[in-house]
Amino acid sequence: MAVLPIRIFPDPVLMKKAAPVEGVTAEVGAFIDDLLETMRCSPGGVGIAAPQVGMLRRIVIVDVSAHRRGSQEQNHGLLVLINPEILAMGGKQVVREGCMSVPDYTANVQRAQWVLVDALGRDGERRIIESIGFEAVAIQHEMDHLDGVLFLDRVVSVKTDLFRRKKYR
Amino acid sequence: MGQFALSVVGRDRPGIVAEVSRVLFELGCNIEDSTCTILSGQFAMILVIAHEKFSSSAEIDPFFDPVRKSMDLTVSLHTLKDEEVSREKGFEGRPHIISVYGADRPGIVYSVARELARLQVNVTDLNTQVVGAKDRPVYMMVLEVDIPERVDMKELEREFDKIRKELSVSISVRPIESLEL
Repeated sequence: MAVLPIRIFPDPVLMKKAAPVEGVTAEVGAFIDDLLETMRCSPGGVGIAAPQVGMLRRIVIVDVSAHRRGSQEQNHGLLVLINPEILAMGGKQVVREGCMSVPDYTANVQRAQWVLVDALGRDGERRIIESIGFEAVAIQHEMDHLDGVLFLDRVVSVKTDLFRRKKYR
Repeated sequence: MGQFALSVVGRDRPGIVAEVSRVLFELGCNIEDSTCTILSGQFAMILVIAHEKFSSSAEIDPFFDPVRKSMDLTVSLHTLKDEEVSREKGFEGRPHIISVYGADRPGIVYSVARELARLQVNVTDLNTQVVGAKDRPVYMMVLEVDIPERVDMKELEREFDKIRKELSVSISVRPIESLEL
């Protein structure tokens, strides 16, 4: 396993659309291991998407179980989502998000309160996952990366929603 | 390379940013960091600028004379020492939001700020506004602060209780939970 370098905005790879994974091969499995290790070594990191390490494939990893608030909410622990699709979403919540690829800012972003996601798991099996709260935010944020969308694209107001990062970890 | 703090204040209208940035562009200054806001109809800009050759603010200052006159702007500049310029925060602590509101009266900001300073809580953002009807003004203050781990939150609450009683204001403190993605 290896920790991969994180691509930082304005790296053009972050603005591109990722392609579906054709099959969950051993090679894809090895990449997922690296992606997971990369996420784990980032302090406080609860999610990562393949384009953040320059790989334009539809793979995201989310794990809010170690997060202060995320751990107190319903969550699935480690989630590896390959070719994820949102089947349904509803409700609203505003959460302050930071992104490893945009180190200078955090922002309040409005997201759906819950999502229903269809994805392949690490084992290549298809599953439907219902997620709410912080975990649902993390899934939506990471899935945006697969379409070249950053949380900055979702900021509604500079005055009330965008914050210079005050905490350097 | 010299770095400078630049502040510009003037009655809000279109063109202030354009004029100030034109002067900076023509001088060859880089805008390193900036924020702008409107306070009671005054447009206020604070910028950190850098220039490859200039080392003293006095070399730059006269170039703003035309916009001082034509747009009636108050422009001030001072030179920053290298060690003063930092992109990293200098204080440790967990980020919190503190909201304070109540009938407008003197001393609200000071009472809260004094207590925070005593506990070595660092204020990283502060907004205040008078809202509500003219005959019943309400003072609103929202702060972002970093509270050091060693601060006893119960003690902070006890001190805020005194302020709540003394000034009849509501104060709420809550942690900022952010997701690192």
